[in-house]
Amino acid sequence: MTPHAVEAVIAGLKAAGVSVVCYLPDSLFKELYPALDADPDIRTIRVTNEGEGAAICGGVFLSGKRAALVMENSGLRAAIEPLARMGMGAGIPVIMLMSYRGDLGENNWWAVPHGMTMEPLLEAMRIPYRVIDEAAKVKRAIEDAVTWSYAAYYHSAVALTGELVR
Amino acid sequence: MSATATPETTATPEKMKRFDCMRVLAPMLKSELVILSLGASVDEWYTAAPHMREASLFQQQLGCVTPQAFGLAVGLPHRRIVSLDTDGGMMFNLGILATLANERPRNLLVVVWDNECYQSIGGPPTHTAGGRVDIAKIAAGAGIEEAHTARTLDDFEALCRRGLAADGPFVIVAKVDRDSRRDIRRKHSDGREDKYIFVRHVEATEGIVIMGPSEHN
Repeated sequence: MTPHAVEAVIAGLKAAGVSVVCYLPDSLFKELYPALDADPDIRTIRVTNEGEGAAICGGVFLSGKRAALVMENSGLRAAIEPLARMGMGAGIPVIMLMSYRGDLGENNWWAVPHGMTMEPLLEAMRIPYRVIDEAAKVKRAIEDAVTWSYAAYYHSAVALTGELVR
Repeated sequence: MSATATPETTATPEKMKRFDCMRVLAPMLKSELVILSLGASVDEWYTAAPHMREASLFQQQLGCVTPQAFGLAVGLPHRRIVSLDTDGGMMFNLGILATLANERPRNLLVVVWDNECYQSIGGPPTHTAGGRVDIAKIAAGAGIEEAHTARTLDDFEALCRRGLAADGPFVIVAKVDRDSRRDIRRKHSDGREDKYIFVRHVEATEGIVIMGPSEHN
């Protein structure tokens, strides 16, 4: 990620009132994680899998603070079960920011399935999402995702691709 | 039926009952918030701790009770949070023990009801049933110094008192029998109603807004 893209993500999270970020690091967001760790306004929590991260974000929601789950899009597959239970069973929302591995431009065979499954899984879960490939649109997308999740009390997602992550 | 009994359980032939443990814990709680696991323990908890009804939220998914309680503890660092988890739930995501060890929440007590079975679906064994798997030792190995096993109500009570005043993550594995109370009232609410009840309680007691009004537009 370029420094500009990293700044745009952090500006979006702050504008949306997010003060806690759970993450499992990946390579496309490599520069984002240390920047989040270093930000005095954001508490980062490193998790062992994205399902755990989703559940922690759910707990943060119940506290009145705002959290985001940051991850590679493969993490969506790991998080589906707690997302289904929390979102559909209780109306506890999780806002997700994910790198779009497997999108056009992918250069690793193992990441291709991440691209094939991400959007169908989001659609199966009825999770609205926006795919963003310009830094100028990042902040608005994150703010809109949080606004929607706090109206619907359901999950939303922003996926970053293209020149933002490569 | 003591074929799988460990030396410790042989020394204490009668296992604790979960409901009795709850009746020990309940009077210690006042302003705390509780996240608890699925199954018969929900009805037992609401019966054992009626004063905590609005302050307790039942979660249906294995592996998510302690992570949610931890998220709550992160968001409300001035308030004590209690996770009432289970052996099946903890085995589902042991990673949370490592996360707690690294994050070191100062306001989170984790109780694991270890009945060595998946009670809510009729009682097939969990991995702790064979006597080899020790969740307290796993927690200690993950880096949680205060990880203990309780086998008597006196031990359980003493550990709860310490855990509710602890300055770091505190795990109590309560070895309880397989039975659940069948003579108590079932909860009638679903997960959505429970969430609203809990959120409104947090809002009222914290003086905050979590689920606010809709916009006029």
